[in-house]
Amino acid sequence: MTFSLPFRRRAVTSLAVTLCLLLLVLEPAAASSVKLPSTDIHMVELANGLRALIVESHDAPVINVQVWYHVGSKNEAPGKTGFAHLFEHLMFDGTKNLGPNEFSDYIVRSGGTDNAYTTEDATVFWETVPSNMLPVVLWLEADRMRNLAITDKVFSNEREVVQEERRLRFDNLPYGGVVETLYAHAYAVHPYQHMTIGSMQDLERASIKDIQDFYDTYYVPNNVTLMIVGDVDWRQAAVEVQKYLGPVEAGKPLNAHAIPQEPAQTAERVIKLDLNVALPAFVEGYHMPADGTPDAYPLRLASRILSDGESSRIYTRLVYEKQIAVEAQSTGNFTEDPNLFFVFAIMNSGHTPAEGEAQVEAELVRLKTELVSDAELTKAKNQILRDFILSRQTVQTRAEELGYAAVVLKDPELVNTELARFLAVTPQDIQRVAKKYFVPENLTLVEVHPRKGPREQAAVSDATRGPDDRFGKTPLAGRGLDDQFGKNSLSGRGTL
Amino acid sequence: MIPPAENGKRTGRAEAPARRFASGTLVYWAGLILFSLTAPLLARDIPPDVPPPKSTAIPAPAIQALPNGLQVVGVERHTLPLITLRLVVKAGAELDPARLPGTAALVNSLLTEGTTHRTSRQIAEAIDSVGGLVDNGVGWDSSFLSLSVLSDQADLAFDLVSDMIEHPAFQLAEIERQRKQTLSGLKVAHDDPAYIADTLFQKLVFEGTPYSHPEDGTLESVPHITAEDLRGFHTRYYQPANCILAVVGDITASEAFARAARFFSTWENVAASAPPPLAAAPAPPGPRRVIAIDKPDAVQTEIRIGNLGVPRNSPDYLALSVANEILGGPSENRLFKALRSRQGLTYGASSDLVCRRNLGAWVAKTFTRTAETLKSAHIALEQMKSLRDHEISRQEMETAQSYLVGHLALEFETSQDVASQVLELIENGLPLDYWNHYPEKIQALTTGDVWNATQRYLDPDRNVIVLVGNVSDFKKDLKKLGPAQVIPLSEMDFGSPDLVRAQGKAGK
Repeated sequence: MTFSLPFRRRAVTSLAVTLCLLLLVLEPAAASSVKLPSTDIHMVELANGLRALIVESHDAPVINVQVWYHVGSKNEAPGKTGFAHLFEHLMFDGTKNLGPNEFSDYIVRSGGTDNAYTTEDATVFWETVPSNMLPVVLWLEADRMRNLAITDKVFSNEREVVQEERRLRFDNLPYGGVVETLYAHAYAVHPYQHMTIGSMQDLERASIKDIQDFYDTYYVPNNVTLMIVGDVDWRQAAVEVQKYLGPVEAGKPLNAHAIPQEPAQTAERVIKLDLNVALPAFVEGYHMPADGTPDAYPLRLASRILSDGESSRIYTRLVYEKQIAVEAQSTGNFTEDPNLFFVFAIMNSGHTPAEGEAQVEAELVRLKTELVSDAELTKAKNQILRDFILSRQTVQTRAEELGYAAVVLKDPELVNTELARFLAVTPQDIQRVAKKYFVPENLTLVEVHPRKGPREQAAVSDATRGPDDRFGKTPLAGRGLDDQFGKNSLSGRGTL
Repeated sequence: MIPPAENGKRTGRAEAPARRFASGTLVYWAGLILFSLTAPLLARDIPPDVPPPKSTAIPAPAIQALPNGLQVVGVERHTLPLITLRLVVKAGAELDPARLPGTAALVNSLLTEGTTHRTSRQIAEAIDSVGGLVDNGVGWDSSFLSLSVLSDQADLAFDLVSDMIEHPAFQLAEIERQRKQTLSGLKVAHDDPAYIADTLFQKLVFEGTPYSHPEDGTLESVPHITAEDLRGFHTRYYQPANCILAVVGDITASEAFARAARFFSTWENVAASAPPPLAAAPAPPGPRRVIAIDKPDAVQTEIRIGNLGVPRNSPDYLALSVANEILGGPSENRLFKALRSRQGLTYGASSDLVCRRNLGAWVAKTFTRTAETLKSAHIALEQMKSLRDHEISRQEMETAQSYLVGHLALEFETSQDVASQVLELIENGLPLDYWNHYPEKIQALTTGDVWNATQRYLDPDRNVIVLVGNVSDFKKDLKKLGPAQVIPLSEMDFGSPDLVRAQGKAGK
């Protein structure tokens, strides 16, 4: 069968594959000519401190509403872990006007969907509904912002549900507890040391009094940013926001949060776990700066170069060429306070974590010693541009990006302007941040070894070498490694 | 940053009659009175009335067929500079050779790993360097390859997709690499209780049909798939007359057709591709089967309970969609209310109406801490019995109808949504104006129609129950569910007729 060559580059390719390979390497990737469409953001500030951001988008007769409370698991005190997320569940459990779950009944009867999630930094409630539903949604959100009414029975029931969620996401999964173990050892004082889900013990101890305090402190309009994206007239939407949320009383001013900042790590920490898993694995976590800071952008691009796509460096080396890993990735868990840059791999049978670590190290060294090529950097920038565009596809993802920019990065306009920060990054910037952050004394490493012999309780052999080791952490089986490395965020109301 | 996607459910269109909200309000008042008898509270406020929703415009898809039979669907949307090509092959895991589960999946996974014109590395470089995003996978009735690019790369996208679909090289080194990946993936999945539960349920309920094997293959089958098997499958099923190409986004339909003609017309059908014969009908249900897989380190038990259902094009599909909303769909979900809201036994409970081209199943899914395994299974069974034996309430009926019709607005939000709806209709042989008539058909259903469907398609006495957990902690009362087979996870084999690995039997 003959094959026509409708595209010029293919003519070259079919002539000499090897030559073309060479050409592809030499020929720098061109920066995309595509521009990110601008988003018009309309901001409304109410007297009670609530801020609303409204974006019109008329592709379909739907809207997404998101209420961002600026409270997450990093606001939890020791001994009260998991409260922010438990509270998120309780927000569906009734007010003085509505019974448990009635909130969602209004949403589903319109054909809409609603849910919520909690991260380290924020608790987010959202609804996607036909656009006529805006007043109903605002009424419902205002109602649970001031009228929450939780009975003892509902409270203890919900606590059990959250414990089931913990079992599902952590304790019953093959590579469970790996990330939880990593965080427990990488952080000594900052609350990022615990998972958003919290510990079983703390959940067990949570009382209704604790919950009431949490509500009174954080669930106040002066701690809220409200997003409305979709098929609305923004002026009309602003009037509705004032009508339904204006009457909610302001809470006390929130203290600029007294969250202890993590001191610099001074030595590498290594933890080895024996787990009931089929394949060895490892996760590395390097401390890195907060999202939105100047170094965050070269680090995000470094993560693309290392691991976005099948031509990325770590994938190519570990999965494709050496074939020692079934999966290998790097990604930064960028958050409001400084978090970790991850590299992780699940090894193929017969290959040890140490082999994988050595290959990853070789790639990190390369990043520190050789400037990335313009072509490779352009490729990473094109991928960033693509992701900005993909995030504009639905009203929900648009509201999500807007909320993140406004609350975590503290500037909603970043949905338009942040791309320029990525495009300004140079090969030298990437080399500089690689040298600064990818150093042994900044690293916490968790190795997972398949347990041999009969089953028993998971054991931890803690070979931590740092000066500020904290022993005695029990590894808890946890979230699957594959879907684990995004935000430490929990969705509220799973249906499988 | 983006929360997990919702469970997608078939939905209806937002041309809801104005009376919907009037009747909704009545329902709420009824609820209030009941509630205030038990809780002495002051007068309650209720949400405001709102006008009826705008109607959802369901775009008529632009469709053309090339002379070689390739159907091309164009869906335009110009608000974002993005184009997606999605090529669907009407052949999936149901066409795996009987002894070689995983063939369709392995063929599909190799599409991106080298063609007769490009190496695997060249394909990856070409896609990544322009910020493209490739996705491919295999379902039961179809396989797909999709590529999204920024709109200045339309030619590259057509070029790459046509090359990957038409000319995969199936080089030995790439096959071995992919085989190794698949086997490692299966080993990891073997420790995932949810994977085991879903795969085993499917195996049991579809026993004797081509829909019962694990679609990614098994540790036993994948090593035996040869390059010839892969080429044979590709030659037989990856033919233009057996494929649909959707071109979606910032490109006009006429440009899409022109480019499709340019890049795909030299693709030839090598053989008359008669549609595959209909799968053998599954055996009528026998007595209930209970299989418990023992995973001693589990702290939670995955539970699946269900029986055969209907294919996607069944006339009973709509009534069953409503019934599924009541049992475990996003709107009513009696399972969620009984297991989570009332008892705190689980984080999630739902039911799925699984509808394939030739057959289907209806399954309830949940999970619970080990100690509550049997209690949760019994509660789920009671909910199924109750739905079979009693007519649903008018309120439940209206909520489900209202949800299904209103949700159509969300299902047609993006250009990709529109394309996947059209593709689903074509794949299942449904008329292209299906969604335009959907709201009226859903609204015309009665509680009697739904009851009729649940009596025919819910069979809680003769169903399949799968439990994956620490069986020793609930084995004592397992018999109450029915005659049960307990298999240690370490000895389980999806390929063996009695599910037990041969050496497991020999080794005692």
